[in-house]
Amino acid sequence: MNLRVRQLSKAFGSQWALQDISFDLHGGDCVALLGQNGAGKTTLLKLLSALIQPTSGAIEIDDVNLAQASARVRALVGYFVPSAHFYEHLTVKENLRLFVALYSMHNNGTDLDDALDRVGLLHWRDRFVSALSAGMKCRLVLAKWLLVQPAFLLLDEPYGPLDGAGVDLLESFVSSLAQRNKAVIIATHQIPRALALCSRALVLNQGRLVFDGERHEAALNLDRLVGSLLPRGKQWNS
Amino acid sequence: MELLRQTYWLLWKDVRLELRRRESLMAMFFFGALLLFLFQFAFEIRPDRVAEMAPGLLWLAFVFTGTLGLTQLFQPERENSCLEALLLTPFDRSALFVSKVLFNLILMILVESAVFPLFAILFNLDYWTLLPSLFAVTFLGTFGFCVLGTLFSAVTLNARARELLLPLVLFPLLIPVILATIRCLEIILRSGAWSEGLPWLRLLIAFDVIFMTAGYLIFEWVVEA
Repeated sequence: MNLRVRQLSKAFGSQWALQDISFDLHGGDCVALLGQNGAGKTTLLKLLSALIQPTSGAIEIDDVNLAQASARVRALVGYFVPSAHFYEHLTVKENLRLFVALYSMHNNGTDLDDALDRVGLLHWRDRFVSALSAGMKCRLVLAKWLLVQPAFLLLDEPYGPLDGAGVDLLESFVSSLAQRNKAVIIATHQIPRALALCSRALVLNQGRLVFDGERHEAALNLDRLVGSLLPRGKQWNS
Repeated sequence: MELLRQTYWLLWKDVRLELRRRESLMAMFFFGALLLFLFQFAFEIRPDRVAEMAPGLLWLAFVFTGTLGLTQLFQPERENSCLEALLLTPFDRSALFVSKVLFNLILMILVESAVFPLFAILFNLDYWTLLPSLFAVTFLGTFGFCVLGTLFSAVTLNARARELLLPLVLFPLLIPVILATIRCLEIILRSGAWSEGLPWLRLLIAFDVIFMTAGYLIFEWVVEA
């Protein structure tokens, strides 16, 4: 499956959040989306997951315009937001059961338990989501996407609340998706991690795409591209 | 079939959340009871004027109570960006409309079942033999209220001061359903027969059918706007 973005722009009122973004994404791609705060990373991910509509330009999945596509086509895109997208007063298992049902997936309960076991939440399955820590909620999001297996997965700052083991789980999941010909975009400020995991990088600066290329090229040019992402006085050591 | 399955799951979610939080139901019940006590103190209804006054007062209580419930209807979806999570899934958006109408209807019927006997006691109503007819008309009126209320609750979902905006938008559009229900109840209480109230009943059924169909068809655009 291919995702094509052409001259994509998004304005909120008179403020342009994104301008003239074009790139292609193919099955098996693993892309790091980099940029300083306010560069437009989350806006781009929300546009790609059809949660907001572009001001101009188009996003196509296999030549079908996402804006006019059915909900079934749009559901090919998964959007990973840590610590959100779950009902706090439903239990861990009830949340998963609900979303799996809405994705029209059949499960016998074992699949849910397997996914929860993989992310280390099996013993928490009957607890309310409100009782989970931020890191555990992030693991729960991971369990959801393990079950759904979307064709395109967009991750928005996924590393934040995760502990070391959680990061390993996340990265092995992302790698397994890419190996199964699914495409992944990770928006993050954890540049070394993202560039180690991904084969390609997109860099946004003030709503414009200033770099689209291989990870080693990105690493070489990072000081120039996103110098403000690095701590004051530091340089990127590729 | 898929729509029914999705509606079931969304309704299951709302019922579970309400059973755990009990926010809407308790608030609606206490507000409804409070209104009845206020009416009791404010109006002294003579026995010969009960048929004339009771339906209006009762329906005012139902409408205000129901509006309180409507402001909370999409609260679970507002918290934690759950609406976004729902919109990422491929479910039929109309299932969300149908499930919210049904959930709102369940809440309203539960509240009305508690408020009506209280009203009968406070105002010395003795119309227990007419209960099936009164229930049928009240059900149709409540259904119309829930359909339009759910639709406009979704329209004002992302609006600022939505609690203020919702009644302002909703009440003028509810006039036909409120008028038809009150007139029907009044006729039943006065004469005990349906026949005189048939034109109002037809209006009520037409209102319910038209807005249910319109809501079902346009909800996708409303919720994704």
